[in-house]
Amino acid sequence: MAKKANIKKDKVKKIVIDKSKSIIDAPSGMFSDKINEPFAHEMIVSKDRSENLTPKQRKRKWKSMANYFSANSLWMLMYCTGCCAIELPQAMTSRYDMERLGMGPMATPRQADILLITGYLSLKTLRRLIYTYEQMSEPKYVVGFGPCTLNGGIYHDSHAVINQLDQYVPIDLYIAGCMPKPEAVMNGFQDLIDLIEVGEATGWKDYHARYEWYKQNQKEALGEVMIHDEFHE
Amino acid sequence: MTITITDFLVAFGVAFCGWALQTSVSGITRKTVARMQKRYGPKWYQNFRDIFKLLNKRAITHGWVYDFGVIMALAGIIGTAMFTPVANIVVFKGYDNFFVFVYLFAVGMLGMAMSASGSGNPLASIGVMRALTQMVGYEVPFMVIVLALIHVRDTSSISALVDIQQASGWNLVVMPIGTIVGFICLMGMLGKKPFDTYIAPAELASGPMVEYGGKQLGMLMIMHEIATFVEISLFVNLFLGGGSNILEFLVKYFIVYTLASYVSNVLGRFKIDQVVTFYYKIPILLALIQAGMLVIFGWGV
Amino acid sequence: MTILTIIIALIVLSFATYYITKINNQVGAYTTVVVTLAALVIFLLEGDKLSGASSIGILRFSVTPLAWFFSIIMLIVYSMVAFFNPYWMKKILHPGAYNMLFLLSLAGTIGVFFAENFIVMFIFWEIVVWASMFIIPFGKSRTASVVYYAMSTFGSFTFLYAIFMLYANYGTFVIKDSLEAAKGDANIAIAAFILMLLAGFIKLGIFPFHIWLPMAHGNAPDTFSPILSGGLVKLGAFLTILITTLLPIHEVTKDQAYIFGVPILIYVLMIFGAISIVVGTLMAIKQDDAKKLLAYSSVANGGYILIGILLYDEMALSGALIHIFGHAIASATAFLTIAAVSYRTGTTKMSELGGMIHKMPITYVVYLMAIISMAGIPPMTGFISKWLLFQALADQGMFFIATTMFFGSIGSFLYVFRPLSVLFLGQLKPEHKTVKEAPIGMLIPMVILSGITLFYGVLPNSLVEYTAKIESALGFDKVIETSALVIQGNNGDLHAPLITGIFAFGFIIALIIFLIAPKSRKVGLMDTYTAGEFLYTPSLYHAGYAYYAPFERLYQKHPNIVALFAALVQKVKDFGKFIRFVFFSRWPGRGVMFIILTMILLMWGEKL
Repeated sequence: MAKKANIKKDKVKKIVIDKSKSIIDAPSGMFSDKINEPFAHEMIVSKDRSENLTPKQRKRKWKSMANYFSANSLWMLMYCTGCCAIELPQAMTSRYDMERLGMGPMATPRQADILLITGYLSLKTLRRLIYTYEQMSEPKYVVGFGPCTLNGGIYHDSHAVINQLDQYVPIDLYIAGCMPKPEAVMNGFQDLIDLIEVGEATGWKDYHARYEWYKQNQKEALGEVMIHDEFHE
Repeated sequence: MTITITDFLVAFGVAFCGWALQTSVSGITRKTVARMQKRYGPKWYQNFRDIFKLLNKRAITHGWVYDFGVIMALAGIIGTAMFTPVANIVVFKGYDNFFVFVYLFAVGMLGMAMSASGSGNPLASIGVMRALTQMVGYEVPFMVIVLALIHVRDTSSISALVDIQQASGWNLVVMPIGTIVGFICLMGMLGKKPFDTYIAPAELASGPMVEYGGKQLGMLMIMHEIATFVEISLFVNLFLGGGSNILEFLVKYFIVYTLASYVSNVLGRFKIDQVVTFYYKIPILLALIQAGMLVIFGWGV
Repeated sequence: MTILTIIIALIVLSFATYYITKINNQVGAYTTVVVTLAALVIFLLEGDKLSGASSIGILRFSVTPLAWFFSIIMLIVYSMVAFFNPYWMKKILHPGAYNMLFLLSLAGTIGVFFAENFIVMFIFWEIVVWASMFIIPFGKSRTASVVYYAMSTFGSFTFLYAIFMLYANYGTFVIKDSLEAAKGDANIAIAAFILMLLAGFIKLGIFPFHIWLPMAHGNAPDTFSPILSGGLVKLGAFLTILITTLLPIHEVTKDQAYIFGVPILIYVLMIFGAISIVVGTLMAIKQDDAKKLLAYSSVANGGYILIGILLYDEMALSGALIHIFGHAIASATAFLTIAAVSYRTGTTKMSELGGMIHKMPITYVVYLMAIISMAGIPPMTGFISKWLLFQALADQGMFFIATTMFFGSIGSFLYVFRPLSVLFLGQLKPEHKTVKEAPIGMLIPMVILSGITLFYGVLPNSLVEYTAKIESALGFDKVIETSALVIQGNNGDLHAPLITGIFAFGFIIALIIFLIAPKSRKVGLMDTYTAGEFLYTPSLYHAGYAYYAPFERLYQKHPNIVALFAALVQKVKDFGKFIRFVFFSRWPGRGVMFIILTMILLMWGEKL
């Protein structure tokens, strides 16, 4: 398993951009269960941590079947806030076919494993996002799309939009691009799978460990709600 | 005939293999459906991965009835699967009564419904309501057909019905209309489109499943696979003559399930009232005609 | 002890209870518990060897297995319900009268079962009707009582007419002799049969006489509804079994045209049973009041029982008898749980309740077991009877009747699940946060009744054997067969303990899977998926009102039988107005004229 993951990583590193083919009529990798490498282009900003595995970690990874199952059956909850959401249908349907990675859309946070945050988050939606994130069952992962989740993007100076999402919920992976192309989305997911397989996607543990810190940030951003009823939150 | 603990273990083996079989078959079907949609599709063992992942997750619980209902659901369905005759493996010969199937199956359904309502989510209650309403639709025509069959064959044991068919031809030939009705009802039982009203992910957030995650959902997935195994086997045994050997049975099983899945993939979804009115128009009429043909005139027997 | 002694003792004790209750409510209520339990113990100890020898004049009794079977059902229901009486003494307007009538109606039912002749049966029948008629208005409504009495009176009149018709022709009131004699003349036999059956139909709540059931059951005091549904309704079944098998109606009608292998009269009567099933099921599905829902389910189950009796073979009758037993116990249990909830919360409307499981878990489990039996799911008694009935139906190939029966059977999942989901599960309303579990005195009878339901579902053979005994006593050539643990049907065997064993096996497997997997985290009821919305009002987040709305919409424009009865009532009222207009007008001359006319006619006498 480790070897395979490494090989994939290597391939990602040796990116060869085939400029002779345009993106539109590119073969979409319809009959391959691997990502079509030429289109896993340079926009990926994944935290590539699997390079520095110690032997001990590799051993633990071999032992851990749980990671394998978690990695290869990722059910998504799409929190479609911004523009990046428009790229997901393509990633899901025939052209890029997310299902070959074992991924699929789910209806509720209880069932889902990964939370996709596709774009900017206003304060109102952030409160709901945190509620939804806390309802998910562990292990759970969060993927941020586009610059809006990273640094506010084009909304960086808005009074109603938060800039750094990882202040409030732990992010396991960012996918860059405004919006990220489906190829980037797919490659990002492949990276997330690799991270989970080696047990490196530990955002949910971080949320437990630094719960106070996250709560503090959340409170600072959102303020405190005094009256608890249907109309004040 | 005395019943020993070995019988129980063999019967459990049937249930377990049924689960493994159905999980693989549904994986293969996912793959072939993907190919039809010009996709690559998941691995054939994707459903196993999903189930084991779910069993590994740390889930939530909404109180004891939420957990108890899930256990009861799985228990009822495992029990039903243990009665299921597969080809020449018939463990409880003579006691595999059709009505036992129908009502023991209902234990599982009741357990799941109870657990879902116990979660306190109104979407789950609505899903359960729809599932029960749909049940009123599909069970009645199906049971009328089987009642006529029992009347002419003079036995309500599934394995005995299989034996008769092995000797004197499939019920598909004896009662073609009945088989069509049976297949339509099977689609309803499986909850395949157009009868997946009670799941309706975009409308009800997957209905009864709305609050499940982790091991409870994993167990319900196991339950779903075994239930599908029981339903398809019931159809194969009742209408397609079971199987004289395992291979024959498996081929029939595969064909029926794949056909049901393919039909479901090209259809849209009914509303719940449309489901009921549909079943009480065409299938029940056909079922009564077929029952009349068998019981009154004895055609085809 | 003889039957006469027991009945007289019960009547005397019922009057004694009235005065005891006047002195002290609680003591009076506990007297009913002691008396009913004592009667049950006597019946159980003596078995069907009870003596019916002693008699006073025409008050003669005979002991048959059928009568013993029914009286045991009745005594179980009465004695268990009696445990609830002490808690209701404050809520009922006239506790003394209630306790007296409670015991009097029990004496009446036992009298009906053991009566040797029709006159005694009729007298006790009327005692039951009158006793229950006075109890019903102690609850919510007086109209219910009027409707109940009007229906019952109609039945009583036809019953009485049939009795005198038989007496006029054959000169005997003795049940066996008169029915034996009637066998010769098909016309008289059929006329008497139908007239008596009408009384049975009304008690059993068969369409179109079902309308009194929901009114009476829904409005009677919470402690008396279980008696009505579990006990008194079964009187109709008793009468139907008695006349159908003793006549026997299939021999009398054998010259008629046959349809699906049965005489046309029987088939028509079965259609009434089938209509009851459909009407009862459909109406039960749309009720919001839990007691009315269960009352309509009694209508549907009355249909099963009627069809089982009229199918007239050993499996069907056995099925009907076990169904009477199973439904009496299960229905009484379900009513008792609703009574317990009503005791704690003060309402039986399901939309006003919710999440009671968190406060009353034992009541919930009892209700769950009761509805498993009512829906005919193993491992409960209801499954055994349904299995036997379906076997008989399949054997006779009556697929039209079977269609309605399957519809009722699957439909019962819908209506029994509604209280489970809406009343017991779901969100707990804030006003019920302080509700406690039902008191121990209520839990004991409920748990005992659930135990009975479960026991005869797992080991039904002793019950089936007793029904075989009843059948042979009623003169069946062939009786239902059982061996060690297996019930042998005409086209299949039922091994009830095996089903339970397999279910238990599956349960262990499921439990192991559950325990191996990681432990779950407990969250509150309001912490559910809300699409990210924040909710704080549980009552807004509970699917309770119009639960089956999409299904109900499909038949909301159904014709209503109540309208027909209302039209009849209107006709009677108009006729009364006409009479008043003619005889009691403001002009005395008109009245005087009619009086003179009548007198002239009277004096004319016979010559006219």
